[in-house]
Amino acid sequence: MKVNVDKTLVASIALHVLVIGWGLVTFSSRAFVAPEESLPIDIISSDQLAQITAGQKTGEKDKPKPKVEKIAEAKPEEDAVGKVTEKKELIKTNSTPEPPPKPVEKPVEKKPEPPKPVAEAKPKEEPKPQEKKPDPAKEDPIAELQKKLETKKPPPKPPEPKVAAVQQQPKPKERPFDPAQIQRELDKRATTRHELTGTTMNASASLGSTTGTAVTNVATWRGAFQGAVKRCFTPTYNGQDADQYEADIDIPMKIDGSLASEPIVVAVRGPSRSIAQAVAESAKRAIVQCQVYSFMPKQQYDSWKLIPMTFGLKDML
Amino acid sequence: MNRRRFMTLTGSTLAMLGGGRAFAQQAQPRLRIDPTEFQPVPIAITNFLPGSPSDGDVGNGVTQVITNNLKRSGLFAPIDQAAFIERISNIDVAPQFQNWKTINAQALVTGRMTRQPDGRLKAEFRLWDVVSGQQLAGQQYFTSPEYWRRIAHIISDQIYERMTGEKGYFDSRVVFVDETGPKERRVKRLAIMDQDGANVRYLTRGAELVLTPRFSPNSQEITYMEFGQGDPKVYLYNIETGQREIVGNFPGMTFAPRFSPDGQRVIMSLQQGGNSNLFVMDLRSRSTTRLTDTPAIDTSPSYSPDGTRICFESDRGGRPQIYVMAAGGGAAQRISFSKDDTNASYSTPVWSPRGDYIAFTKQGGGQFSIGVIKPDGTGERLLTSGYHNEGPTFSPNGRVLMFFRDPGGAGGPSLFSVDISGRNELKVPTPGFASDPAWSPLLSSTSGQ
Repeated sequence: MKVNVDKTLVASIALHVLVIGWGLVTFSSRAFVAPEESLPIDIISSDQLAQITAGQKTGEKDKPKPKVEKIAEAKPEEDAVGKVTEKKELIKTNSTPEPPPKPVEKPVEKKPEPPKPVAEAKPKEEPKPQEKKPDPAKEDPIAELQKKLETKKPPPKPPEPKVAAVQQQPKPKERPFDPAQIQRELDKRATTRHELTGTTMNASASLGSTTGTAVTNVATWRGAFQGAVKRCFTPTYNGQDADQYEADIDIPMKIDGSLASEPIVVAVRGPSRSIAQAVAESAKRAIVQCQVYSFMPKQQYDSWKLIPMTFGLKDML
Repeated sequence: MNRRRFMTLTGSTLAMLGGGRAFAQQAQPRLRIDPTEFQPVPIAITNFLPGSPSDGDVGNGVTQVITNNLKRSGLFAPIDQAAFIERISNIDVAPQFQNWKTINAQALVTGRMTRQPDGRLKAEFRLWDVVSGQQLAGQQYFTSPEYWRRIAHIISDQIYERMTGEKGYFDSRVVFVDETGPKERRVKRLAIMDQDGANVRYLTRGAELVLTPRFSPNSQEITYMEFGQGDPKVYLYNIETGQREIVGNFPGMTFAPRFSPDGQRVIMSLQQGGNSNLFVMDLRSRSTTRLTDTPAIDTSPSYSPDGTRICFESDRGGRPQIYVMAAGGGAAQRISFSKDDTNASYSTPVWSPRGDYIAFTKQGGGQFSIGVIKPDGTGERLLTSGYHNEGPTFSPNGRVLMFFRDPGGAGGPSLFSVDISGRNELKVPTPGFASDPAWSPLLSSTSGQ
C-alpha cells in the first residue's frame, strides 16, 4: 500500500502550521499586554485619592532611602561640623530661657526613676536625645553620639558600679540649668543633617517621592483650599435634618489667590429654603473671610480659575 | 481575527482617548465641605445709642437683652465689648468693617433708642454682614417705654431669623407652676414669664394645686388642671382679664388638657372607673366627642400642628407608650419602641410646632430622659438624662425644648432648656422652684420667610 503524498501539500500544511502558530503566540501576547495598559488609566481618572497618596503619604516613606545613601559619604560630616560652629554663635545670642528648660526637665524627671532598675537606665537615656532631635537623621545622630561617647564618655562602659556613677553624673550636670549645650546639640542636627540630605539627595523631599505627582498634583491644592475655607465656615443650623441641607457655590479666583468676584450661589437644597439660603450665605462669608488663598499653585491656575464647591452639613449630627 | 482584535483595540483606544478628552473638558468635580463640629457665629453687638441723654439706660438694657438672647440660643457667640476697636457714634453711617473683621466678627448689630415727643420709645437697629460689608436687616419700632424688653426680644428674633433662616423664639412667654414652701406643704401657683425668665407674674394665689398649664394658640388663654375641692378639673384662664372658667362638667376627673392648633377645641383625658380615655371638647358649642374607648389609660394628648393627627400616651400594650392616631379617633399606631430597654416607658408626648418631631419623657434604667422621635417612630434621640426629667415643651420655632428637672432630696424642680440636637443645655432662671413649663407661641410675627 503506497500512498502518494504530494510534497507541495505537505509543505503548504507545514507552512500554515508555522504561520498560525507564530500568529497565536505573538498576537496572544499582545492581547495579554493591552488590558494591562488600560488599567492605570482607569485608576488615575477614577479617584483622585490615588494622587494624594502618591504625593504625600508615600513621600515620608521614601525619605529614609536617600538619606541612607547619603550617610555613606563621609565629607558631609566635615561640612556639618563647620556649619555647627557658625550656628553656635547664633545660639549664644539667642539663648532663650523658656524652650530649653522644658526638654531638660523631662529627662530630669525620668532620671530619678531609672536608678532603681539600674540595667534599664542606660537604654532610656540614649533614646531620649534621639527623640528630641530631628526624626529624619536617625542614623547620623547615632554616629555623633558615638563620637561624643568616645570622646567625652569613654568610662561608662565599665561594670555596674561605674554605671551607677555615670547615671548620677547627669544629675549633677543638670542640663536643664545649662540650656546652651542642649541647644547646640539640637541645632547641630537640625541644621546640618536636614539640609544636607534634603538638598543633595531629594529635591522634593517635602512633597514626596521623586516619581510622585506632588508638584503638579491638583488634589494637593484642592485639599488645602478645602481646609482653608472650612476653617471659616460656621453655619447657623444644627438641627437633626441638617444632613439634608446643601449649597453649591462657584468661586471665581484670581491668580494671586484672591476672589475675582463675589462667590456665586448656583443652587441650594434642603427642606426649608430660607435655612438653605442661610447656609449658602454662611458659606459665602467663609469664602470671602478666608481669602487670600495665596498657597494656590500659579502654574495650575487654569485648574482653579473657577472652583465649584458644595457646602453641606451632613457631618454635624 | 487579527483585524477584529486590531479594530477592537483601536476602537477602545480611541474611545478611551475620546473619553479622556471629554473628561478633561468636563467641569471638575465639586469640592465638598462638611464641618464636623458646630461653632457659634461670632457677632458683635454694640450698645444701642441713646437718642437723648436720658435714653442711655434703656439703650444698654436692650443691648444686654439681645446679647443674652443670642448667646443662650447657642447659635451665636457675642463678642466681649472690651475687644471692640471701633466705637459706633452714628448708626446711620456704615461702620469701618475692617475694625470688626479684626476681632473676627461675622456680623455686627448697631442700634439707637430715642424717646419721642409723644412719650413713646423709638427703637432702630441695623444688622451688618461684616465680611461683605452689606446691611442684612434694618428696622425701627415704636412702643411704650415699659415694653422696651419686648422690643429687644423682637430685634433678637429679627437677627436670629436673618442669620439662620428660621423664625426666632425670643418674643415668647412661658407659663409654669411656681413652687414655694417646704416639700410636704408645697404651694403651687401658676406663673408666667418671658422666655428668658424676666417679668414673672403670678396668675393664681396658690390656694389650690395646679398642674399642666398649656397656652392657647393666640397666647391669650391658658388651660390647666386644678385640684380644688373634689375631683380635679380642667380650667380656662384668660391672661388679660384674669377670668377663668371650667371646661365641661364631667362626672369624673379630667386631666392633661391641650388646645387644638386652631384654638377652637380642647383635648383632654377623662377618667371613667379605672380607665381614662381621650375626649375633645368644642369650646363654642361645648359639645364633647369621645376619641378613644379602651380598657386602658389614654392620656397626654397633643395635636400635630396641622390638626389632623394626635399623639398620646397609652398603656394599652402593658406599659405606657406613645401612639399616633387621626384627630377624629380610630386606629392608633404605636411609635415608641425602646431598643436598649424593653421595659422602658414613654410619656408626656408633645408634637413640635414644626411637625417634624414628637418630644417625650422616657423612663427606663432608673433614669428619666427627655428625647425626640419622628412621628413615624424613627429617629429616636435622647437629649438629656438624669434622675428626674419630665414635661418637655417646644419653643415656638421647634428648635429648643424646655423641661423641668427635679434632683430629688430636699430641693425642688427647676426649668432647663436644650437644643433639639441635644446641645446647649441651660438652666432657665426662675424666682423659686418651677415645674410643668409650657412655651407660648411667638407673640409677634417677625418678617415672613
